[in-house]
Amino acid sequence: MMRFMQWLHRWVSLILIIQVLLWIISAAVFSLMGHHGMSGHQYMRHVHPPILEKTAPVWPLENVRKSYPDADSIVLRSVLGQPQYQIKQEDNWVYLNARDGHIWQTDTELATRLAEASYNGPGEVTDVTAITSTDEVIDWQGNGFRVDFADDLNTRVYVDADSGQIIEHRNTLWVIADWAFRLHFMDYSGERSFNHLLIWSAGLFALWFSLSGLILLLRNIAQGDFNPRRKPTWLEQLQRDQQPIASSCGGGGTCGLCKVTFTGDQIPAITPAERSMLSAAEVQGGLRLACQHRVRPQDEVELANADVATHQLTLVNKRDLTPSLTELTFTAERAIDYAAGQFMQFKIPHKEAALTRHYSMATKPGSNQLVFTVRHMPAPTADLPPGVGSTFLCQLQPGDQVEAIGPFGDFVLSSQPQRKQVFIGGGAGIAPLRALIQAELDASQPRDCVFFYGARNSNELCYTGEFSVAEAVDYTPVLSEPAAGDNWTGPVGFVHTVAEQWLATQDVQTLDVYVCGPPPMLKATMAMLAKAGVPRDNIRFDDFGI
Amino acid sequence: MTQVTRSSRWRVWHRWLSLIFGIQMVLWSISGAYMVFFDLDYIHGDHLVQEITQPVPANIQVAPVDEVLAAYPHTQSLTLETLWLNGQQQAVYKLDGHQGEMLLNATTLTTVQLDEAAIEALAKRYYALPDPQISSVVYLTENPPTELNPALLPIWQVNFDDFGNTSLYLSETTGEMLVKRHTFWRGFDIFWMIHIMDYEDRVDIESWWLQAFIIGTFILMITGAVLLVYTISFKRKPQGGAV
Repeated sequence: MMRFMQWLHRWVSLILIIQVLLWIISAAVFSLMGHHGMSGHQYMRHVHPPILEKTAPVWPLENVRKSYPDADSIVLRSVLGQPQYQIKQEDNWVYLNARDGHIWQTDTELATRLAEASYNGPGEVTDVTAITSTDEVIDWQGNGFRVDFADDLNTRVYVDADSGQIIEHRNTLWVIADWAFRLHFMDYSGERSFNHLLIWSAGLFALWFSLSGLILLLRNIAQGDFNPRRKPTWLEQLQRDQQPIASSCGGGGTCGLCKVTFTGDQIPAITPAERSMLSAAEVQGGLRLACQHRVRPQDEVELANADVATHQLTLVNKRDLTPSLTELTFTAERAIDYAAGQFMQFKIPHKEAALTRHYSMATKPGSNQLVFTVRHMPAPTADLPPGVGSTFLCQLQPGDQVEAIGPFGDFVLSSQPQRKQVFIGGGAGIAPLRALIQAELDASQPRDCVFFYGARNSNELCYTGEFSVAEAVDYTPVLSEPAAGDNWTGPVGFVHTVAEQWLATQDVQTLDVYVCGPPPMLKATMAMLAKAGVPRDNIRFDDFGI
Repeated sequence: MTQVTRSSRWRVWHRWLSLIFGIQMVLWSISGAYMVFFDLDYIHGDHLVQEITQPVPANIQVAPVDEVLAAYPHTQSLTLETLWLNGQQQAVYKLDGHQGEMLLNATTLTTVQLDEAAIEALAKRYYALPDPQISSVVYLTENPPTELNPALLPIWQVNFDDFGNTSLYLSETTGEMLVKRHTFWRGFDIFWMIHIMDYEDRVDIESWWLQAFIIGTFILMITGAVLLVYTISFKRKPQGGAV
C-alpha cells in the first residue's frame, strides 16, 4: 500500500511537476500584482455621465416606441453630452442618436474624445485604429477603435463604435497578468476559462498528487520521523557510531545496501521495502535493512561483515600499467583480511566534504600490501572537471596516506567444486578479476579458468604475461579497435561477442561466470549470458561505476 | 562509484517543508478541483433565473421624457420598461442620477413603492425552475450575510425552499434582481477563501502569508523535483542471466 503510494506520488509528480510550478509562479504573479494591478485600469477614470436635462432629446420617445414596438427596454443616456437611446430587443441592442433618431455613429474624433474622457494617465493619444475584433478583448466583436496612449504602461483604450461605449482599458501589466491567467487556468485561448478537459485532468492528477503526499506525510508522522527525540534507525545509529555500513539512497529503503543480521530472540517483522529488496533466504536468516528498523533495547545486530574497519593506507609504489590504468600499492598499518574480489571504500577529500569511491583489490589476499588499479577519468569535455576520485588517488606520492573502509562486497569465488570458472572483463574490471584468478590458482585443486578480457588496443592490455604463463588459465584478450602498429592476430570485436561464441560450445550449467567492467560492457554481457541460458545463480558481477 | 548521501538531505527538507506547506498544497488542490469541476455558469446560478421584462404594450400612454426630466432634473439615465406589479405588467420609468435610483409609474409619474408582496411576486417571476416555493422574504438593512456585498444594502432577500437553497436579492427601489446565490456558489466562495487564504473578506490576494506559502510551496516543489531526479534516474542492478 505505502509502496504504491510512493510509486503514485513519484510518477504523478513527474507528469505534473511542470504544471504545479507554473501554478505557483502564476499565483505569485497574481499575489504580487493584486486585483487592481492586473485590471489594466491604472489610468481609467470613472466617468460621471452628465445630467440629461442639459442634453434633452429632440427625437421623442414615442417615435422610438413606434419604430421598435418589441423593445424590452429603452434607455436614454448621454454620451459626452450627446443624448443616445439604447434599445434592447431580446439579446440585441440598437443605439440611436437621440437628436435625430438615426443610428448612432462614432467617428475617429468621437472615439478619441471618449477614450480621453475615460483616461487620467500622463500620456497623449498617439494612434487611433479602426478594428473589428481584438485578441485583448476576447468576447467583443463589431465596429470599434483602438486608441493608443503614449505612457509608461502603453495604455490602449478600446471603444465600441456602435454604442459609443468604452469596452476596456489594456496595458503592459494587463498582458503580464493575462499570461499568468493562461498558465494558471491552462487556457491558452485567452478566454480565461477554467472549465475544460485539460484542467480537469490536471486537477484530478493534482488531487491524487497532494493526497498521496498527505498519506505519506501522515505515515512519516505516525512513524515519528518528525519527533526530534525519536529513536534512530539502526542505519543512523551505525553511521553515528562510525560503523562501516553502506547506503546510497540515504534511508529510503530503495538501494538495499545497508543489510545487517538480527541475532536476538525478537527479530523485527519485515517491511514492504525489505520484501522487495531481500531474498526469502536472507529474510529467513535474520537479514534486515538497517534503515527500516528503529533501535530497540532488546535488539542484537551484527554487521554483514564484522571484519570491516577503517584503515590508514600508505602509498608505497605507483606505476602506470597502460595509458589509462595506474597501479597503486599501499601498506596498511594492520592486516586486512579480505576475500579476492572485494573492494575498499576510499575517502576522497573534495572541497569541504568527503566523497567516497570504491576500488577493488587487484591481488589475492595474504600479503600485507593492497594493490589497486585506478583508471584515470579524464575530463569528458573541456568545461567539465576530470574524475575527482581518480585525480586525487593518481596525484598521491609514495608516503602519502589515505583513509579507506572495508573490505566490502560479495563478488567472491563460488564454492562449486566441479564448475569451470569463467571470467569476463574489460577496462578497470581487471582488478577484482585478477584477484579472483590469483586466488583460484592458489587453491589446492584449482578449477579450470577461462578469462576473456576486452581492451581498445594492445596498449590498453595489462598483466598479459601473468595470465599467458598460467597453465590453468585459458586467456583470451579481445581488442575492439586494434591500432595499425599492433600486428594483432587475436580476436577483434566486443569481448562479450567473443565470449558468446565460446559459450556456444559449452554446457552452460557447468559454468560459474564472473563479470566486471564498464557499465555498457557489463550490461551487454549480462544480456548475452541470459540469452545463452547461463543460470542466473551461476553469475556474479561487480557493477563498479554505479 | 559515487555514494549518493545528498539525497537523504533533500528528503529531510522535503519532509519538513511538506509538514508546513503540504497541508495548504492539499487545500489548494481540493479547492482548485472544486472550482474547476463545477461549471462557472452553474456556480453563478444562471440556470436559476430568467429575463422578466416584456415590451411596453403600444396602447399604454407614457409621459414624455421632458416631463420626467422637469420633475427630476438631476437624472443621468432613464429607462422605460415594464415591471410586474399588482398581478400585471406595468410601464415604469427607472431613473438613475444624483437623486439616487427611482421607480416611477410611466403614465402618472408617481413613485412606485415595492412592498413585500410585490417583491415576492417579482422573485417568483425571476425564478426559472418549476414550482417556486418561497420559504422567507427578508428586508435586510444591516449585518448582510457574507454572500452579499454590504454596499448593496438595504435590499430584499428572497429565500427559496429548493435543492440549492436559492436566495435572490432584489433592489428595494427598482425591484431588479441584483444577486443570486445557491449552495454551490456558497461552496465555491468557501473554496475560493481557502484558495486565496483570505479568511475574512475573501478578496485580498496580496497578503504576506499567501506570498509566504507560495514561496514555501515553490521550495517544497523544487526539493521534490530534485528527489525525483535522484529516485527515477537511480539505476537498477542489471538483471541478467536465465532464471
